[in-house]
Amino acid sequence: MEKNSFWSPYVSGIGLGLTLLATFYVMGKGLGASSAFSIFSVVATQKIDPEYAGGLKYFSRYLSGGSPLKDWMVFEILGLFVGALTGALLSRSFRLKFDKPSHMTGGGRLFTALSGGILLGFAARLARGCTSGVALTGGAQLAVAGWVFVIAMFVSGFIFAAVFRRMWS
Amino acid sequence: MNSPLYEYGLFGEGASLIVALVVGFFFGLFLERGGLGNPHKLTGVFYLKDFAVPKAMFTAILVASSGLYLLGDLKLLDMTRIWIVPTFFWPQLVGGALFGLGYLVAGYCPGTAVAGLASGRLDALVAMFGMIAGSLLFAVVYPALEHFYMSSGLGTATLPSVLGVNHWVVIAIVVLMAGMMFYSMERFERKSH
Repeated sequence: MEKNSFWSPYVSGIGLGLTLLATFYVMGKGLGASSAFSIFSVVATQKIDPEYAGGLKYFSRYLSGGSPLKDWMVFEILGLFVGALTGALLSRSFRLKFDKPSHMTGGGRLFTALSGGILLGFAARLARGCTSGVALTGGAQLAVAGWVFVIAMFVSGFIFAAVFRRMWS
Repeated sequence: MNSPLYEYGLFGEGASLIVALVVGFFFGLFLERGGLGNPHKLTGVFYLKDFAVPKAMFTAILVASSGLYLLGDLKLLDMTRIWIVPTFFWPQLVGGALFGLGYLVAGYCPGTAVAGLASGRLDALVAMFGMIAGSLLFAVVYPALEHFYMSSGLGTATLPSVLGVNHWVVIAIVVLMAGMMFYSMERFERKSH
């Protein structure tokens, strides 16, 4: 593991906070992430079965205008990828790998990554956002939403970590 | 006062997508450099091994929160034009809890999965496919969930408005709580290493 090559989390936190503040100032809204995946989901479903995608009531919110991909969050996620790639390359910490806990098999990790991802995608839609859009943005706005989400997320994470004690340790 | 700039029409939708790329770039850079593209660090908090997530997260919340309300108080930013994250109490409580489980199992959340993939982690790509499937799953079962999804709406409720106190009182409490949390995390980490 790339030990100690990271910045202090406080420094990273200040950078994230200033980025969020600048977004408030310039755009009048905060950061996000999960809605981009919801849009990718719409586009993929449309490619496979346009009629079925068009019939899903929840997806209709993305299908009113032009291309759903011409969306602020989709572009923000593209920027996020490039920014993180730049960080990884400049610090020489970029490694192509299938990251997993040392005791887990590759198949096991495939299962946890996929099933965890499905849960994340579902839960983020139910909560109207994720760690970025609700916890970070809402938390900074002192919105009730942000603090309800962040407390529920950490309490649940701690409880299930006690249940799945060997998952990541 | 002419900010938020976009809300006051200083640039159009096309330019806003460029802003999205720039903002996203710094978002990704700080996530990756803070170690938040690494699932071992991301889940470390739940095993009391690595507190990078709460440290970065609550530092970011405090910086953005004090900055936002300071700009508002100084009349440098029109707070009425800020899109406040809407509250739907029960869906966000249940959604947050399910999300916590997903985050633990996947080892990522949506934004950090993108940072994970950008640092070469292919498991993060698998998690991203999961998120796309999970979003579709939600859309498929949405008719059955719509009633719950729309329930307990509190609009743009904020802690200061609900508690009936000045926003600086709430920020001071958050500073105090975060300070105590950071202090105990540092002590705990020093002891266990």
